[in-house]
Amino acid sequence: MGAKLIHIFRNTPIGRESLLQSAYFCKQADATPVVYIPRHTKFLMYFENDVVQVDLDSSYLKAPDSAESRAAELLFEQGMEADFFKPKNFTASTLPDIPTHFDFMCCPGTISDLSSKIGLGYIGPRVRRILNEAYFPVLLASGVYKPWKRIAVLFGGSANALNAFKLGLRLRRTSGLPLELYTRREGKSEEDYRSIMRNANLEDDFERHADGWHFFEDGPIEESLYEIHHDALVVVGAFRHGLIKDMVFGSTVEKIQSVLPNNLLVVGPKYTFSV
Amino acid sequence: MGRFIKTWRRPEKWSLFRPDDRILLILIGILVGICSGVAAVALSRSLFATLHWVHSFHIYWWAFLLPGIGAALSSLFLNNIMKEGAGHGVPEVIYSVSRYGGLMRLRSSFSRLIASWLTIGSGGSAGPEAPVVMSGAAIGSNIGRIFSMNERQRVTLVGCGAAGAISAIFNAPIAGMVFTIEVILGEWTAVNIVPIAIASVAGTQISRFLQGNNIVFDLRQFHIGFVDVLASFGLAVIAALASILLTHLLRKMPRLARKTPLPIWLRAAVGGVIVGLIGVAFPVVLGEGYHSIQSMIDGAFTPGMLLVMVATLAKMLATAFTLGWGGSGGIFAPSLVVGSLAGLAYHRCLVFVWPAVTWAHEGCFALLGMAGLISGMMQAPLTGIFLIVEITGGYGVIVPLIVVSAISSTVCQYIEPASFYLKELVDKGQLLRPGTDARVLSDLSVHELLERDCISVTRNMLLRDFVQTVQRSHRNFFPVEDEDTGRFLGMIHLDDIRPYLFNPGMYDAVVMEQIMNRGVEVVRPEDDLLDVLRRMDERRLFSMPVVSNGVFLGMISKATLLDRYRQELRVQTQFVA
Repeated sequence: MGAKLIHIFRNTPIGRESLLQSAYFCKQADATPVVYIPRHTKFLMYFENDVVQVDLDSSYLKAPDSAESRAAELLFEQGMEADFFKPKNFTASTLPDIPTHFDFMCCPGTISDLSSKIGLGYIGPRVRRILNEAYFPVLLASGVYKPWKRIAVLFGGSANALNAFKLGLRLRRTSGLPLELYTRREGKSEEDYRSIMRNANLEDDFERHADGWHFFEDGPIEESLYEIHHDALVVVGAFRHGLIKDMVFGSTVEKIQSVLPNNLLVVGPKYTFSV
Repeated sequence: MGRFIKTWRRPEKWSLFRPDDRILLILIGILVGICSGVAAVALSRSLFATLHWVHSFHIYWWAFLLPGIGAALSSLFLNNIMKEGAGHGVPEVIYSVSRYGGLMRLRSSFSRLIASWLTIGSGGSAGPEAPVVMSGAAIGSNIGRIFSMNERQRVTLVGCGAAGAISAIFNAPIAGMVFTIEVILGEWTAVNIVPIAIASVAGTQISRFLQGNNIVFDLRQFHIGFVDVLASFGLAVIAALASILLTHLLRKMPRLARKTPLPIWLRAAVGGVIVGLIGVAFPVVLGEGYHSIQSMIDGAFTPGMLLVMVATLAKMLATAFTLGWGGSGGIFAPSLVVGSLAGLAYHRCLVFVWPAVTWAHEGCFALLGMAGLISGMMQAPLTGIFLIVEITGGYGVIVPLIVVSAISSTVCQYIEPASFYLKELVDKGQLLRPGTDARVLSDLSVHELLERDCISVTRNMLLRDFVQTVQRSHRNFFPVEDEDTGRFLGMIHLDDIRPYLFNPGMYDAVVMEQIMNRGVEVVRPEDDLLDVLRRMDERRLFSMPVVSNGVFLGMISKATLLDRYRQELRVQTQFVA
């Protein structure tokens, strides 16, 4: 139970669903949820080379008197003890600092600029900045509580995809749930991808722990994603495209998120976990 | 393309800079100095134009509402559009330097400029210096981030930004450099001084290029006699008292404002309207007040002694209402105005009491008062001295200037150990100055110091089994855990149970639960090490168990902590040369 997940709690129906999702994730990942109940609509996260301001909407400040007890009750129902985070450091009196030493983070929905999709934890520029700098993966919980029964790693062969696979293995070990890989060929052969796995010394782990590797022919990404089980936690590495490419074609992770209703666990380039 | 971007974003890997990063820091420092200088000049020029424009409305009865409108817009801009936290600016820069290696948000490089332009431009009593310091520092921080600078280099660039900004706004390179080192960084090291000095020069030059080489306040020649030097001791005490009063007002006012059940922007508006009303009686309180200072130095400030005294208090109140109720700006310029008013009042008192004595011109005392207030508020005597010398362009008053600055800062420090900028950080334990225990320990965490070689025992373990465990262990401490849940229940220390160990009759009669210490002091992984060390000292403990969510993680010992402290101190001081 050494690992910790920071969850920014919102005392609303969607917020409570999101906490249930975090609690379920913690159970499967053998982690402890650390709940932060915001008193201000913004906070800062200081990373090694960047500082990210997370702006929340006012719904995060709703019913502050009952927020702590509701969160504690929800976690208790899940067989977990609540650990509440109280900020000690403040950059300004209304701007608390949230530490960045956690092992996971459940991302609040409204830190993206797509405010119409509140509660879905959409990937916006801020989440991308967090992902670029954080040593922890980010959990983007689905809108309603939905336990996942398997782990699906989207593997594209990049360094971040290898990180995603390592994270999938970690979850496979702690949860005992089946682990599957999904890959779009993108002009390469299956052997090319297997050799990437081999070169990263992960082939044995794949053979021992993974329950299948699905390859898709090239085509619209949406069609490939429909093959993924609806009750899978999707683990994906953050795709590192250029700013212009992202602006023109959109981010791949955003596309995945908009197509899949699943819970999404996104791994950034600084995530390190040795198998 | 990607490789090119990667290369230029890591200039420390270029062969030119690989052996020594000082040249790199100087070059980037020049860039930071220029950018922060441009920001400072932009605010200064826009304030000049806005104040001139707003002045034309002062003939109307509703002009007193203008500072309220400006403060409300400033508050709305800062809170709703920029989503910045409240604060003056300089404490945030010091906080970021001392705790997060100078990391600052990009938005801070322009948000305070616009907010303070709205507040001061409409007549609010505040100064543009703290916003330009924050802006310059944020520019330095973000340029450092773009070039992937490490923490030490980034802190230097934050200093370069602050120095460039102050140098540009006052056309005073030495004051910019000294202020940065004395107030912002708090350490004088060769590594820092050179890039900061160069950035100050860059900021000054860009200011001279854009708005000419003008001295802020034209100075007349003063004839200073021995009696004036003697009198400056009294002025130093007056300035110190005024500094403390202004500091207290500025600190109390936000608390008072928070008690009013109004939205933040409306509070700012109320504060601004009060300032506008004060300004009807005492126009000297409005805006940054440089024009009034010039008239005091020139001896053209006509109100009598009592009115000057009241105006001094009025300026203090106006500043507290502007900044404490939600307006944006700094205390630099208001301190100069309050100081010059206090100096003027003091001079007039002297003339009133000893009319036969030939005193120096009252403008000289206004200058000395300014130095006294700056030195007292910031507890930075060198900044006070060099600023006044540079913004007046003369060394004629240097002797009483040193007296006033040194005594004022000493008296203030005696009464209030932390300066206005540092008080809040010190109270919250957030000020980590280089070379202090807190700074060294802040780079270490409980996790790094965990000693995991403890053998845990269960609560139902018999003493007989425990004796065997003791034989295997080289530690005196044994955490007791619940065998079912794994939860930490208490500790057993060999010293506490020695009588049982030498009594074999007890071996099968005693279980761990009976002899463990339940009320043991524990450490959480997120605890500050300074706090842990303090608790160890207070309770005379040499080690403590680390427990997270009821689970024992390991021990933390004073020996390991101090050992790592020494290692970390070596790392942190290796560049200080």
